[in-house]
Amino acid sequence: MLEKLQAMGAALEGQAHLLRLGRLFSETVLLRVGEDEYYLTFEKGRIAQIVQGPSRKTPWRFALSTDAEALERFWQPRPEPGFHDIFGLVKIGRGRVDGDILALVKNLRFFKEFMALGRQQQNEGAAA
Amino acid sequence: MSAIEPITGRYLTATIAGRAQRIYFEEAGQGRPILCLHTAGADTRQWRHLMNDAQVTGSNRLIAFDMPWHGKSLPPEGFQTEEYMLTTEAYIETVLAVVEALGLERPVLAGCSMGGRIALQLAALHGDKFSGFIAIEASDFQPAWYDIDWFHRPDAHGGEMGAALVSANISPYAPEAERWNTLWMFQQSGPGVFRGDLSFYTRDDSLIARLGQIDTGRTPVHIIVGAYDLTCTPEDAKRTADAIPGATLAVMDELGHFPMSEHPHGFRPFFIEALEKMPTAMAEAQA
Repeated sequence: MLEKLQAMGAALEGQAHLLRLGRLFSETVLLRVGEDEYYLTFEKGRIAQIVQGPSRKTPWRFALSTDAEALERFWQPRPEPGFHDIFGLVKIGRGRVDGDILALVKNLRFFKEFMALGRQQQNEGAAA
Repeated sequence: MSAIEPITGRYLTATIAGRAQRIYFEEAGQGRPILCLHTAGADTRQWRHLMNDAQVTGSNRLIAFDMPWHGKSLPPEGFQTEEYMLTTEAYIETVLAVVEALGLERPVLAGCSMGGRIALQLAALHGDKFSGFIAIEASDFQPAWYDIDWFHRPDAHGGEMGAALVSANISPYAPEAERWNTLWMFQQSGPGVFRGDLSFYTRDDSLIARLGQIDTGRTPVHIIVGAYDLTCTPEDAKRTADAIPGATLAVMDELGHFPMSEHPHGFRPFFIEALEKMPTAMAEAQA
């Protein structure tokens, strides 16, 4: 999962529109995948670092909690209903958002499109 | 290449709740009148594909209008100090005022999302003024899982946030161009308008008690819902259809909350099927 997230961070560098959309986004986001924790620190729309938890010392702005199988289905090219969006995961009980939800909503397009970069990685991986 | 579409647009003025409202409407086709209602936070452009569909407009006159505060309809005089909050009563009065201003004889009413919700309210309360109801992504009631105040605040762009939120309701089968055309309308929506629409949609549960009053023997009700709709899920639509004796339901596996706009090709057969369930102009004349 760490490599996957790092690949998404690298892919973000190639998305000029996302770097523009995220230019005011400098926050740490906690991604919980099952029992695992990943702290994604964004700096002006770029991934500055990704640190695997657990960590009690790392402050985060908002958290998205889900499970590996749900993320796998989320990253399919055409996900099934509910797995097609992070709020879909929440709606079907496979995800939860905690913390400063308004900070997420203000940067919602940026964050959703960042998370969806995993689809591109998935497809490239499948083609390789 | 150049082309001029058959859609024409004009304005009407109607008095609604004692105030003059200048309302923009579009139409295309001839025959049985079908009055089309857009979703919250959007406008008439959602219907553009069906209005450009010769098979649909060959025997149907499709009419769509922008609700006051939406699209090309201005807000009423004095809006600058008002808080826009749509209500069931104001929405009903607006639809009936447009029917009257255009001289429509018992049109079919087709509405999506909050338009579908008000279509069912009109089916319950004013069924005699319409010949049938096509309620798309429509249900009795869902409370908001979000804070509607997010979409009208001075430190953020409500339209961009609203579009990012509703994108959760668009199917991954939707063509990319139409997904973004659909979202553009939300991005363009006036300050506080999406919030005011959501106030109606997420807080007024008065339809629940009225569903049983709908007489589908006189005016058929057909509900259509997309599997990718997180706001009005197929379960929500089924619960609603089950509470209306005689209502029919179609579930679209590859569509979301804005089917006529996000994926016109995928929606087309479902809308044509719905039209086939509605009384024809000839049947209406004999009634």
